[in-house]
Amino acid sequence: MASPSPGIRFSLIAPSTNNKFSPRLGSLLLLRDRAQNSLQISIPTPGILTTTSRGVIPHLSRDHQNLTSAIKWVHIPFESFLEHNPPVPTIQKGTEKHPMHRFLGFLPSKHVLSMSIRDPDDAREMPTNGNDHVSANCLRGVRKVSPTDWRSYTLACKPDLVVALSDTPYINPPYSQKRLTKSIERSAAWLATLLRPPPDPSDTNPAVLVHMAGLASIPARRAFAESLLEQLHDAEAEAVKPHKCLDAGVTGYTFDLVPIRLALGSNSSPPPTSNSTPSTSNSNQTRDSSIHTLIQTSLYPLPHDKLRLVNSTRSPHEVLDLISTIGIDLFDAGWAQRAAGVGVALDFRFPVRRDPRIGVVDGLGQVNSNPKKLDLGHNLYSLQYAFDFSELGDTFCGSSQAQPHNGKDVCLCGACSPVRPPEMECIVHDTINLATSMTTSSSTPSPSPVQYEPPFTRAYIHHLLHTHEMSAHALLVMHNLTVVEAFFEGIREVLRGSGHAVLPDVGHDSTEGTERKYDWTHEVNLFNAAYDGSLRVVDDAMEMWKDVDLARGKGRLGREKEREKEKQEGDNEDEV
Amino acid sequence: MQFEVIAKCHTTKARASRMTLAHGVTMLPTFMPVATQAAIKGLTPQQVELLGVTLILNNTYHLNLRPGLKVLNEAGGAHRFQGWHRNLLTDSGGFQLVSLSKFTTITEEGALFASPFTGEPTMLTPEESISIQHTIGADIIMQLDDVVSSLTTGPRVGEAMERSVRWLDRCIKQHEQSGKKNTQNLFAIVQGGLDPVLRDRCLDEMIARRDGVAGYAIGGLSGGEEKDTFWRIIKQCADKLPEERPRYSMGIGFAEDLLVCVALGVDMADCVFPTRTARFGVALTHQGPLNLKLSKHAQDFRPIDEACPCPTCSEKTSRAMLHHIVTHETVAAHALTIHNIVFQAQVMGRARSAIIAGTFPDYLRSFFSDYFGDTGYPEWCVNALRSVGVDLLENNPANVVPGKGAKWEYAKSP
Repeated sequence: MASPSPGIRFSLIAPSTNNKFSPRLGSLLLLRDRAQNSLQISIPTPGILTTTSRGVIPHLSRDHQNLTSAIKWVHIPFESFLEHNPPVPTIQKGTEKHPMHRFLGFLPSKHVLSMSIRDPDDAREMPTNGNDHVSANCLRGVRKVSPTDWRSYTLACKPDLVVALSDTPYINPPYSQKRLTKSIERSAAWLATLLRPPPDPSDTNPAVLVHMAGLASIPARRAFAESLLEQLHDAEAEAVKPHKCLDAGVTGYTFDLVPIRLALGSNSSPPPTSNSTPSTSNSNQTRDSSIHTLIQTSLYPLPHDKLRLVNSTRSPHEVLDLISTIGIDLFDAGWAQRAAGVGVALDFRFPVRRDPRIGVVDGLGQVNSNPKKLDLGHNLYSLQYAFDFSELGDTFCGSSQAQPHNGKDVCLCGACSPVRPPEMECIVHDTINLATSMTTSSSTPSPSPVQYEPPFTRAYIHHLLHTHEMSAHALLVMHNLTVVEAFFEGIREVLRGSGHAVLPDVGHDSTEGTERKYDWTHEVNLFNAAYDGSLRVVDDAMEMWKDVDLARGKGRLGREKEREKEKQEGDNEDEV
Repeated sequence: MQFEVIAKCHTTKARASRMTLAHGVTMLPTFMPVATQAAIKGLTPQQVELLGVTLILNNTYHLNLRPGLKVLNEAGGAHRFQGWHRNLLTDSGGFQLVSLSKFTTITEEGALFASPFTGEPTMLTPEESISIQHTIGADIIMQLDDVVSSLTTGPRVGEAMERSVRWLDRCIKQHEQSGKKNTQNLFAIVQGGLDPVLRDRCLDEMIARRDGVAGYAIGGLSGGEEKDTFWRIIKQCADKLPEERPRYSMGIGFAEDLLVCVALGVDMADCVFPTRTARFGVALTHQGPLNLKLSKHAQDFRPIDEACPCPTCSEKTSRAMLHHIVTHETVAAHALTIHNIVFQAQVMGRARSAIIAGTFPDYLRSFFSDYFGDTGYPEWCVNALRSVGVDLLENNPANVVPGKGAKWEYAKSP
């Protein structure tokens, strides 16, 4: 048998139960080429993707990005590159194998790159899409992108995955049945354009993801999903050869929560005049369960073993919920990255540690009637951290502290476990240093083992935040992504230990042999009971971040002192 | 401190030396990047160390306000607080008092200023400045000096110089009593404005106190004075300062200024310019600055400098990519800050190598030819280097431009 063909393959490790929507373990395998020892990247699922802005992970220099092992799948909204026509990444010269990786500084050996035209997290109003274009946003205004443009961009940029154009309206919900019909027809046609074989037969198309159209309408969602399975005939079939139906060319399904939430928001207030959306007119349904219904409706007719990706979840609670009720495989970490941007160091784990301090009792696993749930992290703007010289997490410690440090997990991020720069790797600027080091350390260039520095402290990052130093955010982004990845590792561990995967793991991140027994639902309940899912800590931090940002400039220290006083007086009044 | 001159240029006054402090060796001449508030903007100390930087600067004035001495004390000093293992220098806070606070009044006792927190009058005495710097714990600390703008004229300049000498005595006394002399080193700051007579008197007085100081800074310059005056003052000071003490020229950061100062005998310099200009989108190169905001770079897939060993260039980050993110994403600031720090270090590192190899005059010629060959040499550089025996124009029909002559990349005029 020939060696496996290069490309991306998603497989479920155990097609666990008969239920289409139960939690599941899977693995995304990327093979770079046909060679025997070809590079491969494997991403266990449930897992995360990292979001970008203008093609970069906010606050992370390339070295920080490369030392953060949580960063495996990176998603690029392409629209910022529309400022130039043709877009700059599409005109790189040379026979580059991975032009977009190269342009943005991601490593083909390490990073899976996906591209969509729009930022799935962007909720701004946009001019309407046309029959043959999507309206996309860039600094110089709105740009029209046709399906043919999109195909040529993706062929030029060669990302590993590409999300087909989707006709998602971003103006004036609710949408009429006519508008929704148009939306699903266009989305299907635009997917077909992307599935056409490349003009150069030696080229390969990137793997294709399809955004599930239909917004908040159950019939529209069902119709779109079914249209993907319709057998194609004649010219249509010829165009996407060898695929027999659109779905055959699709690696996975994506769900953008932002437009769904917008559509539901508008539907929940005055009942829509259109009678085409029976599900959402039911006022007893909470928004979450209608989101579940909508996603399930889309997935129901489709093969269950393809990748399912959800964009713009807002908390780990929502992630657990979507895994539990729908069996979603991949989530973006945007919320955790944004938390880092406003000074929050995340500090939570799954499964919840049996620890009396957090109100969880072992054995029966009962949750104490803990009046105050734990925050998911620390708002490091808070004055309580000014003299706090401990590491970022209560649940995590740094590598330099790791003698089983009161049972804390080791966080390998660049903030908790900074690697001491080996002298050999520091840039030498003159010819003198070389000479001296050669005389002193004669002939023993032994590769020194990795040495870890003590963790950066809360007090230091508190100081950096209040002085508006960018280094704070670099450290926090590395930390938060690492904490979220650990959360997903915990999810996979619990799923393995709760019979959701009966087959042995293929061998990444698992502990060998003795697997612990878990009950998934029980663990999720414990987590929900232990941690505050409203993310109050991020809101608080956002306020203080704004304060520092707005107070900048001459006289800032005085203004801040004033505000602090006001706040304290306010707090005192509250207590009275 | 151990300070050892290991080589001297046979033509100019340049010298290469090894300075050993409590946190390791720093080879001189060197440029010190500025970490005003205990961080080089956007970077971590590990990143800075990997760039081959062994000495950075913190600002006493800023650290004293925030995080404050109580925090630094509990953290065990600024090194521990920011996780920096190499050498550290703190200024005295005098310069910021004058540049940042309108209401500062200098009295014999010290500098009286309005607290930026409360507006209350607060006094910073020489003793206090030293004791603050002891708490911060830098390897090199600076005397509190009476700083006047280099454009000031009249009796105030002389008064400030005389007072700086008296304050040096108080700083020395405070430092001697502290028991920190083994780990921290006090530098004096030569003042005297642009007046050679005052400078000379200051030099005499401060050199007389050499047993109490580990090194000398040349202060009161880089404040908008004529470049021709600037280099003459530097030369006057460097010529007179004792051979066996490091010489630090404060607030110097342009590559041509650095090399002229080195040729005149200066060992150390600091400036926020390379890191600040990075945040505005400017990359420094051996052919002059590149303003990456300009649209001419939008489709240029070359790195900033093919030969540059910095992480930004060795990863082949393209000018086009940097153009796409400068001033929009902090990542662009990080990438350019990293590059510019390495550029400064390269300029000085090559100077060290050349001094040792006996080729420093050749290095000056090739640097100026690369950097200014297309636009013209600043006249003041030509004059300054002639004064130490290097004629940039010898067998070289290059243009000479009057004034500052500093190089900048402008957008093409329409």
